[in-house]
Amino acid sequence: MADDKDVLRDVWFGRIPTCFTLNPDEVTEREAEAYYLLLPRVSYLPVVTDKVKKHFLKVMRAEDVEEMWFEYEGTPLKWHYPIGVLFDLHASNTVLPWNITVHFKNFPDQDLLHCPSNSIVEAHFMSSIKEADALKHKSQVVNDMQKKDHKQLWMGLQNDKFDQFWAMNRKLMEYPTEDGGFRYIPFRIYQTLSDRPFIQKLFRPVSPDCNAHTLGDLLKEMYPDALTNDGERKRYQVLIHGIEPLLETPLQWLSEHLSHPDNFLHICVVPGDLFHRSPY
Amino acid sequence: MSCSVLDEEQFRQCCQLLLQRSDQLGDGWSWEAVQGSEEGYLRKTALRSVPSDWGPLHDQEGFNFHPQPQTLCDSTGHEKEEQDPAASTGSVFLTAEEDDDGSYTVTNGSSLVLQYEYHILFSCSYGAPVLYFRAFTLEGRSLALEEMWSTIHPNYRLCLQNSPLNAISQQEHPLLGQPFFFFHPCRTEEFMGPVLQAASDQGRPVNYVLSWLSVVGPVVGLDVPLQYCTPLHSAVSLNSTKPH
Repeated sequence: MADDKDVLRDVWFGRIPTCFTLNPDEVTEREAEAYYLLLPRVSYLPVVTDKVKKHFLKVMRAEDVEEMWFEYEGTPLKWHYPIGVLFDLHASNTVLPWNITVHFKNFPDQDLLHCPSNSIVEAHFMSSIKEADALKHKSQVVNDMQKKDHKQLWMGLQNDKFDQFWAMNRKLMEYPTEDGGFRYIPFRIYQTLSDRPFIQKLFRPVSPDCNAHTLGDLLKEMYPDALTNDGERKRYQVLIHGIEPLLETPLQWLSEHLSHPDNFLHICVVPGDLFHRSPY
Repeated sequence: MSCSVLDEEQFRQCCQLLLQRSDQLGDGWSWEAVQGSEEGYLRKTALRSVPSDWGPLHDQEGFNFHPQPQTLCDSTGHEKEEQDPAASTGSVFLTAEEDDDGSYTVTNGSSLVLQYEYHILFSCSYGAPVLYFRAFTLEGRSLALEEMWSTIHPNYRLCLQNSPLNAISQQEHPLLGQPFFFFHPCRTEEFMGPVLQAASDQGRPVNYVLSWLSVVGPVVGLDVPLQYCTPLHSAVSLNSTKPH
């Protein structure tokens, strides 16, 4: 049985092979070749796509270049969602590599937030971490950290430094033993079939009679349609980092080991297929 | 110390009371429910005239601004006009210039009319209401963050810029999924604490959402008329000994 710490590494180093193609309507001076990249599941598009931008700017004139944005099969990709979440939500049951289209004009400002610089990504990331700690510890742990500690979390993510990140993040994963877990579990459940972008509510890891809540308990409370009743054909897959954890898994364990660096458990519910999926 | 955190049910009750008063005053708030549930948010739209000399704003044709709000308020506090920000937010802004004989000439400085949309949602993570908002020109173009800064009175801008976590930023609306601006809720408990304590000490009921709105609303042009505060038939008060 894998050591719990191995799970942390597997989550951090998960990658998605991606092929970036320039939108055919962009004005180019010559044909643009596709650009291939392994994207980290736990990071964000603006942080890891500098090379993509440089590659396509080589064939474009400066005056034809506005804010870069990405799209998959007509859907603008929300850069403030972790990359792995975008993949699981939109492309999990398709053949690799993930084909993303790159745009440099007609920014869809009714769908996407603007991202003029990495400091905006940092602000979003830190905002998620603070919100997660508000749920887990009434913000006590994150408020006790110094500014340089916050910076260490961001730099660890930005520079893909697992040890640097976890040296600080482990503090956010602690809890008083007598409590049996965090105060509330930071989670978001995403589905593609509704206008609502995600479900996020208060949910405790331990029941009033001290039983550990499971992933199945969470879904039953928040999104019962995701579950399959006895005798029914399975309609949905419940994905975290591209895998389907057993519904009996304790939620507290999931929160400590399968959260993203932003300290949230991002859970994607997608129309399922009946084939067994390989991990990550 | 009184509990300055709200739960969702209390939020709904505060909103319903606010809504009743709004209906009486014709102030335009409505409740938007999430389909098939009790969950929802308060919504209001309003036209607002913003003077273009509060900060370089775009002209009618396009987009011509300098994101340097600090230049308007230097360290001596000297400003072009003496205005009480709370009084001027909802209405057309007028520039007052003093004449030689000590009287004031009021002129209508050039200004831009914008269509604002305000949503009040509940954050379960912070146990507080959150203000989401966006603005459009009359031609339908939505404002960018830098332009939004230009529509905030210079006095407020100074305060906000000193606060961490970029008090106003762009954020995805949690129920609609579209880009809005919002006030980060992490400091709400801090400023609501004394308000609730004072009310509790005096045995006065408080509408959390209304009090909170009267603090954050004016910053983004949302006036909360004083008539809201005439005694309500019933009020939601936060019991200081409520465990949380």
